[in-house]
Amino acid sequence: MKRRNFLILGSILGLSPYIEAKELSDFEKSFKKVKPTISAVQEHMFPKGSKIPSASSMNVTQFLFETITHKSYDKDIRAFVLEGAEELMSREKGLFISMSSKEKEKALREYEETHYGSNWLSRIMTLTMEALFSDPLYGSNVRESGWKALSSYGGMPRPSSRYIEL
Amino acid sequence: MISCKYDVVIVGSGASGGAMAYTLCKAGYKVAVLEKGRLINRDEFSKDELAYARRDIVTPNLFDEYHIIEEKIDGKWKITPTYDSGWSFWNGNIIGGSSNFMSGMLHRMHPDDFRLKSKYGEIDGANVEDWVISYNEMEPYYTLAEELVGISGKYKKHPFEPPRSTTDFTQPPTKENAVVKLFDKSCENLNTIPLVTPRAVLSKDKKDRSACYYSNFCGSYGCSSGAKGSSREAFLKPALTTGNLTLMSNTHVKSLHTSKKDEVDYAVVVDTITGKERQIKAKMFVVSAQAHESVRLLLNSANKYHPNGLANSSGELGKNLIFSAGGSGQGVLRKESLKEIPFKDLMQTGLFINRSILDWYFIDHWWDGKFKGGMVEFMFEHQNIISRAVKNSNEDGKLVWGKALGDRLVKRFTEGKSIRFEIFNDWLPTDNCFVSLDKTHKDKYGMPVGKLRLQAHPHDLKVGKYIAKKCEKILEEMGAEDIYSSISSTPPQNLVAGGCRFGNDPQKYVLNKYCQAHDIPNLFVADASFMPTGGSVPYTWTIYANALRVADYMVKILEKNKYKCFL
Repeated sequence: MKRRNFLILGSILGLSPYIEAKELSDFEKSFKKVKPTISAVQEHMFPKGSKIPSASSMNVTQFLFETITHKSYDKDIRAFVLEGAEELMSREKGLFISMSSKEKEKALREYEETHYGSNWLSRIMTLTMEALFSDPLYGSNVRESGWKALSSYGGMPRPSSRYIEL
Repeated sequence: MISCKYDVVIVGSGASGGAMAYTLCKAGYKVAVLEKGRLINRDEFSKDELAYARRDIVTPNLFDEYHIIEEKIDGKWKITPTYDSGWSFWNGNIIGGSSNFMSGMLHRMHPDDFRLKSKYGEIDGANVEDWVISYNEMEPYYTLAEELVGISGKYKKHPFEPPRSTTDFTQPPTKENAVVKLFDKSCENLNTIPLVTPRAVLSKDKKDRSACYYSNFCGSYGCSSGAKGSSREAFLKPALTTGNLTLMSNTHVKSLHTSKKDEVDYAVVVDTITGKERQIKAKMFVVSAQAHESVRLLLNSANKYHPNGLANSSGELGKNLIFSAGGSGQGVLRKESLKEIPFKDLMQTGLFINRSILDWYFIDHWWDGKFKGGMVEFMFEHQNIISRAVKNSNEDGKLVWGKALGDRLVKRFTEGKSIRFEIFNDWLPTDNCFVSLDKTHKDKYGMPVGKLRLQAHPHDLKVGKYIAKKCEKILEEMGAEDIYSSISSTPPQNLVAGGCRFGNDPQKYVLNKYCQAHDIPNLFVADASFMPTGGSVPYTWTIYANALRVADYMVKILEKNKYKCFL
């Protein structure tokens, strides 16, 4: 399967201009608009009171932003992260962030029924897990609490800089 | 003879390039190793899962450099650029190449692997050929590689274990998890012989390389103690101490130039940081860029003397690309049903399982028939935390989230441990597995990218499935649950060989028995490209051994030519 196809097909909004965004600051401005929605999805997936750390306590949205804007991250998927959030906002007429937990569950499960939504939710899940279980150097997994929850720790030596930027 | 600064230029610093450089430098020759990637030193290798295991940090960005993959889908050949699929065919582009990131489970090929056609006959649709050399000619170099790389292990007699000229390994096996007690007993119950896996990981210090410290994160990661016998640790560093090696990182070779029909005179290289192009001259050239990329370089070096690419008068360049066939499987040992050993011992991190099975390397059974089988490695599931968590976030095609996800992950990580097996069997060479140049796609240096047509022979799957069933029985006997296996015709991109077959007839083969181009005497191809068949083991030990063999031959040529040299 062609990666671009599965990123684009099924989106009601179609290909957004983010993929062409040349300046990081343009992307940052766009990200700010969808940030509350992405945070709300992450917090719903990783709630407080779980056996693993909650999204709200782990800086996961900041991690997500820093991760997708790093040069090592696929530029198509970077755009997809924003597009998928916009699509969710559009589907729920801008009300997603103010919904109750039960309503959010219903909205996300319905979104998951679409091929596009399923891919986007998987991407948010993966990015949030990368936050919780990567080295604390990347700004999440605060005090190694993600690792502690799973009794599994990163190997030694630990990285001294992000992405081996020597 | 060309007047130049280097006796030998080697393209690529991986397993073969390193071993070649070692021998040549030790013999007193000036060598330049050209590597497109950067240098990462031993103490700079961390266990950063995000960087090493989840991003293209040590391989090129696929939008800059990629391959075109051609596969048969619904009966038609279809092409996909790897920037579309994300399926990278780069394998560790740093000094030392992909050997930095290997798991290091190494085996010698069996003597019968060198004469597969004679022993097992032809198979319809497969281009099986005997090797032009025998195991006996390779054996001294297997032994030399074992010593230099520091392969640890313990020899046990087995009908399918290749003969050795030394009694045992100089490095004892690496430390083992208590689960081997359960594994060995289970094998015994099934009349199967467990063997200690030879591993390119030091169990004892060796000169300036420290023994393994059991970090729990070995394969896919560089080694920060020097225990892993990568090209960088075992060969390039000792070669540097001779003062004869010039190691050029960030140096990508675009093409090799010939001013006349039978001699390469310089490499056209580009500095990957500045983009500046220059020429590097030498008396002899070695291509060791990994099979598919070595072929691409030779094809991209076509000129008026060699219109179809260097070393391609036979028209065989790029053909019969092979991989390692097989697949993998696993099962979970759970706390509540664990036999023989305490659960806390199973959960001890870092220690290896270190077991392989050779019982099905050759099959000769009254019911199943007589055919070449394969080898199996048993290991723990890779300990990468993010990937294990992601893998366990799905149930019946739906994502699991909320508190259910927390419960699921904690249970999965703390109440069980997965044992995995990997099967290695022959990927039969066929007319539908080869490398050529793509006519339209070019990399960021303006050179045509490699186009890989990939198709497995149905026989490969049959053999893999046969062995997988046997492996599943071992896991069952161990008391593992949720057992599954997956035998696939998808090639593992890190286990690639063929494309520049060696043989005596210049009309049929690209290289002679010393991996020297039939067409151009000062050109050698020393990576796994030369292999007509790949055996049923990972290639690395054979690549090391063969490169040491070829380098010995080159030393002889250089010695002979010294008297004629005008340097």
